[in-house]
Amino acid sequence: MPEMTYLQAISDALREEMRADERVFVMGEDVGAFGGAFKVTDGLQDEFGSDRVMDTPLAESAILGTAVGAAVVGLRPVCEMQFADFISCGFDQLVNVAGKMHYRQGLAVPITVRLPSGGGFSGGPFHSQNPEAWFMHSPGIKVLAPSTAEDAKGLLISAIRDPNPVCFCEHKHLYRRVKGEVPEGLYETPMSARVARPGSDLVVIAYGAMVWSALEATEDLDGASIEVLDLRSLVPLDEAAILDSVARCSKVVVVDEANATCAAGAQVAALIAQRGFEDLDGPVVRVATPDVPIPFSPPLERAVLPQVDDIKEACRELLAY
Amino acid sequence: MATDLTLGPHKAAIPPDAEHLERDDRVALLRYMLLMRMIEERAMKLYRQGRVPGSFYDGFGQEAVSAGPAFAMGPEDRLCILHRDLAAHLVRGVSPTRILAQYMGRSGGPTEGRDGNVHFGDRSLGCVGMVSMLPDMMLVATGMAMAFRLRGEARCALTWVGDGATSRGDFHEAMNWAGVQQLPVIFVLENNQYAYSTPLSLQFAVDPVERARSYGFPGVRVDGNDVEAVFEATRQARERALAGGGATLIEAITMRMHGHAAHDDMRYVPDELLARWRERDPIERQERKLVALGVDVEALSAEVLKEVDAAAEAALAMPMPDVATVASGVFCDGEAEALGDGKAPWSRFRQVSNA
Amino acid sequence: MPQMGVSVAEGTVVAWHKRVGDWVNADEPLVEISTDKVDTEVPSPASGRVLEILADVEQTVAVGGLLARIGTDAVAGDPHPDEHLNGDSGDASPPSTQPEPAPSGQRGETAKAHSHHSPVVQRIARKEGIDLDRVSGTGRGGRVRKQDVLAFIEQRSAEPSNGSSQAPLHSDSPYREDTGERPAPAQPPVAGSGEQVERLSRMRRSIAEHMLHSLQVAAHCTSVSEADMSAIETERELLGLSYLPFIARCVIDALQAHPSLNATLDGEQLTRHRDVNLGIAVSLGEDGLIVPVIHRAQELSHQGLATRIGELAERARSGRLSPDEVHGGTFTITNPGSFGTLMSTPIINQPQVAILDLEAVVKRPVVVTDGAGRDSLAIRPMSYLCLSWDHRALDGALAAQFLGTLRRRIERWGDV
Repeated sequence: MPEMTYLQAISDALREEMRADERVFVMGEDVGAFGGAFKVTDGLQDEFGSDRVMDTPLAESAILGTAVGAAVVGLRPVCEMQFADFISCGFDQLVNVAGKMHYRQGLAVPITVRLPSGGGFSGGPFHSQNPEAWFMHSPGIKVLAPSTAEDAKGLLISAIRDPNPVCFCEHKHLYRRVKGEVPEGLYETPMSARVARPGSDLVVIAYGAMVWSALEATEDLDGASIEVLDLRSLVPLDEAAILDSVARCSKVVVVDEANATCAAGAQVAALIAQRGFEDLDGPVVRVATPDVPIPFSPPLERAVLPQVDDIKEACRELLAY
Repeated sequence: MATDLTLGPHKAAIPPDAEHLERDDRVALLRYMLLMRMIEERAMKLYRQGRVPGSFYDGFGQEAVSAGPAFAMGPEDRLCILHRDLAAHLVRGVSPTRILAQYMGRSGGPTEGRDGNVHFGDRSLGCVGMVSMLPDMMLVATGMAMAFRLRGEARCALTWVGDGATSRGDFHEAMNWAGVQQLPVIFVLENNQYAYSTPLSLQFAVDPVERARSYGFPGVRVDGNDVEAVFEATRQARERALAGGGATLIEAITMRMHGHAAHDDMRYVPDELLARWRERDPIERQERKLVALGVDVEALSAEVLKEVDAAAEAALAMPMPDVATVASGVFCDGEAEALGDGKAPWSRFRQVSNA
Repeated sequence: MPQMGVSVAEGTVVAWHKRVGDWVNADEPLVEISTDKVDTEVPSPASGRVLEILADVEQTVAVGGLLARIGTDAVAGDPHPDEHLNGDSGDASPPSTQPEPAPSGQRGETAKAHSHHSPVVQRIARKEGIDLDRVSGTGRGGRVRKQDVLAFIEQRSAEPSNGSSQAPLHSDSPYREDTGERPAPAQPPVAGSGEQVERLSRMRRSIAEHMLHSLQVAAHCTSVSEADMSAIETERELLGLSYLPFIARCVIDALQAHPSLNATLDGEQLTRHRDVNLGIAVSLGEDGLIVPVIHRAQELSHQGLATRIGELAERARSGRLSPDEVHGGTFTITNPGSFGTLMSTPIINQPQVAILDLEAVVKRPVVVTDGAGRDSLAIRPMSYLCLSWDHRALDGALAAQFLGTLRRRIERWGDV
């Protein structure tokens, strides 16, 4: 099995799926000739041409709106927002047009929206966001967030094949830092959670880049047996897997890189409090970025984004409870 | 679409600007306008009787702006229809019964009670239902046109947009995108002088039709209350689009004769403006033309009224939606189905199946 | 009243186009209303005769409110009313919804009380029948954690099973260090003589006479047996009672088995009584002693006896016993054991033939033999049953049999 980076896996998914399905096409700013701001789409235009790897005007609302139009007449657009942060410029099209169309009209909108998300490299307030909670909150939109290279490829293929609008949150920090074995050819990863490491004393629930932080923090923590659950899919949320981990471990730490209020972790915590109550041996603890725009200067950024030590500390305290 | 009306003894010469319309087509155009008006009048009564919940919007006085362009669309073309364009739904083949059921939030309407008034589109007839953020639909239409170009298909997409909606960013993004990619999309700007209570003078500094050129395609101004003129302008735009000539902005000048919605008494509109436009009522104008051709417009009117009455009775008998289904259908669980083809009653499309 | 706009909540009647009794056609203007947004006519929804106008001009009505009633059965010219108009039917049935059941946790039963135990600890404890007070906690502040309960269960299953879990027993042992009461300080001698002289009180003289008389006429013997109180212990603790009512019930059963002891002797006349009129000696402190009688005590359960004993004792102490309540006893129980004495030789309450004295219940090591005949040491709450009996009326064997029966009833309390 070939080994590739998280970024290469995403590229591979696009390439394979475009080869297999002529309806699939990529659109975004600088994705064509330039190969994309992060080079995810590098080489695709050479193979598929400028119609299928389309350089669009700088217009997020238009990228999403025209994608809706193309999708309802039978194409499978994969839109790229150059940074997840810019999705706010196309919010209306995604939430009000795409998200609600099937409920109101029975008309499916099979679009995929790739959102390079997350911080940790001095991107500042407009290049570091994790906006997934906005779309978890909007009915009719699915939200995915892979953490491994293998899942990045498989989940993107699943997203493209899904008949609904799907936000694909690819974490910029993982692009080149995460490598792994990735199966060749086409495969779909289910929109469900994955146990990244099994354990019994406590479970850390996370997604995206925070899965790696959680794994590092809990690998050798005072001899405790700590499970790490990688959510992978935020909508649909794998409630059964979450409750199963809670039933076995009874102590839970939920990690969000997103701003704490109403982040995905808040939904997970509420779910556990209501339906996992009798399995709890301690309060549900959250580690999350405070409600602050992500700052630019490295010490400031480090102070707000959850670090490995923050997760360690939270686990230690909860274990001792 | 044939009618049972017999020709009178005076058959006028066909005027040059309607050379693409046969007599039946011209009658059909009137019929669609009458149907729209009578459905809306009926719905307004139902609204005042408390049977139509929420808000009620109509396109009184603007019937030509939707009947004309829709009539020029082929079955494979795609439409995004706004709230004062009810005739477009009728042209595509949505039944009056379902429309009235839709207003009343009944099961059996095109949205099964999930959206109200004219926020609907029958996907099997190639119509995309509007959202309330109106100019959004310009981008959807642009996207459909983009797909047609990518696939090399001889089809076009058409959307309506109001004078108010041109002020939002999506108007610019759609115009720009359509221009830069030279897409087969037609934007019908229904300039009815007011966006709710906001007159044109507070809406834009330069009329949108004059700005179309700066996006790289023509802007065409037309009398919005002359249904055959609006039809003709759209027909030409479509021809251009299908020939690879790109987009067109058609500005149809008209007047919103009723309030923004039933709850608006439009006291901000000067009475003399309304009086002037009343004389230019599109239905009356078309009727006069057809009377000159010997068409019995009164009989047509009566027939349409009967149809609307029957539709209202049928719609009133339809049940309210089953609340047990309220959370279903948020997501599509099966295969994504693309929009279907609509009816195309213009005689030129007769070779295409027109059931 | 129609809703003319999403945010409109009410309308005001401006003018009626019809009066009561008028005919109106469907869609004909019926009334004019004014709202925040617009003034408009309301067309009639049906043809018929106006039966009733419910909103006057200038009256403001909420959206959905009733404005008028139109009789649609009516024929033009015919004055009969019937149906209702405008949405609100007169006999709208009241909503018959049940209150929504509170959202329940997915597990169903709610965990029980202890506020300082976490849900999972409570759940496990409940399921395994563990008393969490016995589990030591290693969590913060000594909190019992999940692993503590699980460890406890593991340890428990490793121990050999020794029958039912034993609750702590009554331990009024005289050998226990006296931690509580101190005797009242002795009265200081009267200044001067150093002695205190007083005449016996009337009650004391009465008791003195009775006791002397009993010793003079009866051939007193005392037989002692011992009984294991453990069978009684659980229920006794549960009900919050002393041993006395239980013993009393056992005594009644034993007397019914050995009626010769439920008897009175007058000279040479022995009367065996059908009813057990059980006398219970009640101490009146230094003033003396009195023995109220529970007539037909055999009709009462141990709980009934407990209640009755309590009542009588209370009345005895407040001097409110009636003459009937101190006469007619057929057997007496005296129970001074709470002070720790082990055995005693009570004096028979004349004209009865026997008296039972209950002394302290003390935890002692005893030999128990299991079903297979194996002996082992066990710690049991033991008590001596001291029976004084009149050798004129019966012999030692009968006394012993009575005690044997009594003991068996005590030790097999709760057996069906």
